[in-house]
Amino acid sequence: MNYKLYLPTAAILEKVEAETHNIKTFFLKPAEPIPFLAGQFVELTIPGLGEAPFTPSSSPAVQDRMEITIMRVGTVTERLHALQPGAQIGIRGPLGQPYPLENFKDKEVLIVGGGVGLAPLRALLFALFADLDNYKKVIVRYGTRTPQDIIYKKVVEKAWGKAKSLDVMVTVDKGDEQWKGNQGVVTTILEKKYLKVAPSKGVAVVCGPPIMMKFATFKLLKIGYAPENIYLSMEKNMSCGIGKCGHCRLGQYYACKDGPVFSYDRIKDLPQIWD
Amino acid sequence: MLKLLPQNRLDELFRIISQDRLVFTHQVIEDQFYLTFVREWDPSNHTLPAYRPVQPLKSLVFPPREALGMLFQKSEVPSVQERIILGVNNCDLHSLRIHDYVMQQTEPADPMYSVLRERTLIVSIDCTACRATCFCTVVGEQPYPKSGFDINLSPIKEGYIIESGSARGEALLEQCAQILAPVSDTQIQARDKKRHDLSAQISKQSAEKGLKPELDFQAAIQKTAESDLWKSFAHDCVECGACNFACCTCHCFLLVDGQGDANQPSRVKQWDSCLYQNFARVAGGANPRAHRAERLYNRFDKKFNFFPQVLGGYACDGCGRCIEACTGKIDIRDVLKKATDEL
Repeated sequence: MNYKLYLPTAAILEKVEAETHNIKTFFLKPAEPIPFLAGQFVELTIPGLGEAPFTPSSSPAVQDRMEITIMRVGTVTERLHALQPGAQIGIRGPLGQPYPLENFKDKEVLIVGGGVGLAPLRALLFALFADLDNYKKVIVRYGTRTPQDIIYKKVVEKAWGKAKSLDVMVTVDKGDEQWKGNQGVVTTILEKKYLKVAPSKGVAVVCGPPIMMKFATFKLLKIGYAPENIYLSMEKNMSCGIGKCGHCRLGQYYACKDGPVFSYDRIKDLPQIWD
Repeated sequence: MLKLLPQNRLDELFRIISQDRLVFTHQVIEDQFYLTFVREWDPSNHTLPAYRPVQPLKSLVFPPREALGMLFQKSEVPSVQERIILGVNNCDLHSLRIHDYVMQQTEPADPMYSVLRERTLIVSIDCTACRATCFCTVVGEQPYPKSGFDINLSPIKEGYIIESGSARGEALLEQCAQILAPVSDTQIQARDKKRHDLSAQISKQSAEKGLKPELDFQAAIQKTAESDLWKSFAHDCVECGACNFACCTCHCFLLVDGQGDANQPSRVKQWDSCLYQNFARVAGGANPRAHRAERLYNRFDKKFNFFPQVLGGYACDGCGRCIEACTGKIDIRDVLKKATDEL
């Protein structure tokens, strides 16, 4: 028996791309393929320093490479952002449960991202794109603070914006002179006039800062989404990733083992879900 | 198998069943028993505990600090010599169901725990006395084992009623057949009376603290989520974590990275405390349990609400260690009493 479940696989950092002033995408090549499904997460290790949980941003169909878009917010991410291509880090996973794509079949899928919260949703979008005929429609509603905070700029504005099967809309809290899009928080583009969908029959997937998820969820409920059809990414302190260490408990669940994605009906009565 | 082990045969029994095994048993200092690793059972130095020892049994299957190895190198779980623990009280024995659930039944299984559990034989014993802090009977337990042991000893006047509780225990007793005698109904009645009397004593001292077996602690914890009682008790908490480390069921741990041999990056798994301020904090500083009262509530919610939901019973066996360990003199019985008062 070995300790593999607690120890990472080595991975080489092949490339780093800056997305915004504090967000970068890391292109990783693990020593052995790490097959994952959209919604599952991994723990990244800075050797000698520690681990932190992240959801891959790349396509689940690609197993020998992994891209992860990361904001600089804490000890591990600070060191990650200072790394140069060629550096060795560790990946442990995949961990947690994937999005239940079978529940999305033949439905209108609304994806709501806030800030760097679009990063994990990108893996989901890749999974949806791979079987686009399975879904009635895919809608993306994305909000950031300023135009400079938009991640995947080229893709969001060009490729996604032009795809016929996709309905993409971006908003910023505060625009600048060049900004011609909507101004206001993400809930302003969840108004019925911007959403040509039947909420009661659709599913919505939300990922972003807790305050954004809270108000987006309330808005989605108000326009008619059912609690069981709203999927939220719960950001908790996930350490072991396998439901043993106790840190990420959320009521009767562990975010790492039972999540990190939960439908709202499972967690709505639990305390401190938005903290 | 139920037999009588005459008093003068105890040392012989221990000699036979300890052969080729590491031995853990107890030493007594003043009024406390200490779980200790020994070369062999020595009746002049060692004793069977009348009640639970200072250290929780979990430390033998879930070590306080466990090296997981160097990063990016194959790390095998070390081989472990078979061990035997002489004298385990029911609170500790029953606590293993929590660790079994977390470490083994929640997949994937923890490798070291599985090895240690498999390689540990347990000789349990009926308690013959209780500490003033014992309250097992109000959390659904009793001061004698019902299951989970390899062998159990019930002290009576003539020696011990000895019982096997597993195939391994059965095999060991067969090995010792020549020193065991048949047990009489009178002796079983004597054992049952001792068990009954000690249970009654624990219930009586718990009742004096306002706790009765029929109280629904799960309902009380659910009801008091917003109560001020947590603030009031948290006022005395100094976040030392002693309650967690002394507790026989607390299982939380942290993966800690550092530099091992030759400055190679390494990882260890070590006990953690849910009372520590940063226990649930995430990167960037958000903390769902920023206040001490929330963390104290969380501890009770985990024991008396989470585990009943996922496993069907409290994660508290009434060992009372947290009462004796608490620097702030917080008595879990007072907390439970105040919580049930709000029902």
